[in-house]
Amino acid sequence: MKSYSQIDGDGGSNVAEQVADLEAAIARRMAGIRHVVAIGSGKGGVGKSTLTRQLASVLAASGKKVGILDADLNGPSQAMLCGVADIPPLPGDEGLLLPVSRDGLRILSVGSLLADGEALSWPSASPRHTHVWRATREFAKLAELLAAVHWGTLDVLLVDLPPGPERTAQFADFLGAGAKVVLVSIPSALARGVVARSASALAPLPNRLLGYVENMSGYACSGCGTVRPLFPESREASDLALPCLGRIPFDPQLAALSDEGRAITEVPDGGPVAAALFTTARTMIERLEEVP
Amino acid sequence: MKFLCVPCDTPMRMRATEESEPGSLAVVYSCPACGYEMAMLTNQHETDMVRSLGVRIGPAAAAAIANPGAPGMAAAGMGLAAGAGEAPAGRCPFSAMLGGTTQPGAAETPSGPAWTAGALERLEAIPEMVRPMARAGIEMVARENGQVLIDEEVLAAARSRFGM
Repeated sequence: MKSYSQIDGDGGSNVAEQVADLEAAIARRMAGIRHVVAIGSGKGGVGKSTLTRQLASVLAASGKKVGILDADLNGPSQAMLCGVADIPPLPGDEGLLLPVSRDGLRILSVGSLLADGEALSWPSASPRHTHVWRATREFAKLAELLAAVHWGTLDVLLVDLPPGPERTAQFADFLGAGAKVVLVSIPSALARGVVARSASALAPLPNRLLGYVENMSGYACSGCGTVRPLFPESREASDLALPCLGRIPFDPQLAALSDEGRAITEVPDGGPVAAALFTTARTMIERLEEVP
Repeated sequence: MKFLCVPCDTPMRMRATEESEPGSLAVVYSCPACGYEMAMLTNQHETDMVRSLGVRIGPAAAAAIANPGAPGMAAAGMGLAAGAGEAPAGRCPFSAMLGGTTQPGAAETPSGPAWTAGALERLEAIPEMVRPMARAGIEMVARENGQVLIDEEVLAAARSRFGM
């Protein structure tokens, strides 16, 4: 009796070939992107989406061609943060064309596909078991999008990751060995602990961890122009044992701009936050250009 | 998964796929040597598992006919296998059963402008989850411009209107 390997094909659907075709299609679509940088944390609420959006803006203002992939399909925020929530992706001659923000960022976010306040649902044939295959289905959907998008040429594609240390590692793996990772923390022992877990989860993967950004690193007072402590003094974040790419103070003005879908580069004086973002972007680019 | 006709020692060929009942797919195989047929019936969990992979299930030839020029497996509308007449054309039976990912606020407009075949082909070439909003945006531009038929010109106008 014939064994499995003695029979050509896989039974009729050529699933392995389909998977290979999809991976090849994604590789072709992303061939014009010089650097893919995943912005994660592991911890929710540390401001990684806002940081991603504003970092992209200062990179664009520095002359880079930049795109953002909002990898959080269930909690997308980049469409709103970039002011493109009302702009749908459209079919173009070379693939799916993406909304472009006022500051020139190409944005792929499920937020452009949903009405306000609505969420994707993941129907399942087996009641009470939607969770079982959900992650797989999310990645399949993301892959479907990536195989269709026309990014053109980009210097940097920033990927806004959902929270969760294990998710951070899963997405790094999904994006491929060439994708680099930046972790975002805030000056609290709790956040640093979760970020350290993410670094640990990433350690077995080939992806290069560029370092971390400390967000909410003090409070930028618009009255006196100084940066004051926002969190109680605690251990130095250097215990993460990662290079620090920058420290971004909290500024209510930035929160207001973000809610309006605007970039810090759109205001004449972005203050200490803009300065910190430009420094962080410059450091990140330097790290990207280094030979590992 | 492969099936072997043991008496003939011949690999069975996938002949058809069809939804046998809600949440279950019947995949029919036949032996090219003796003609014997059998059906694999999936349970709900197996249906979910295959659906989660985003792959097309069915004979490749039939899928290619259903999705001419489709670029990738998941981007394809998931071809319908021969003999699966009850499922909508161009969709994998697994997709048809589960509906894929749903966007509650993005229903297609039932009485929008008409589409030319070429424009519709363009729309159907983009991922399924993007189509409702893309369609709505294009139809909005058509209405703004007083167009009752969506063609390449309207698609170009929509791209221009949205800054692409």
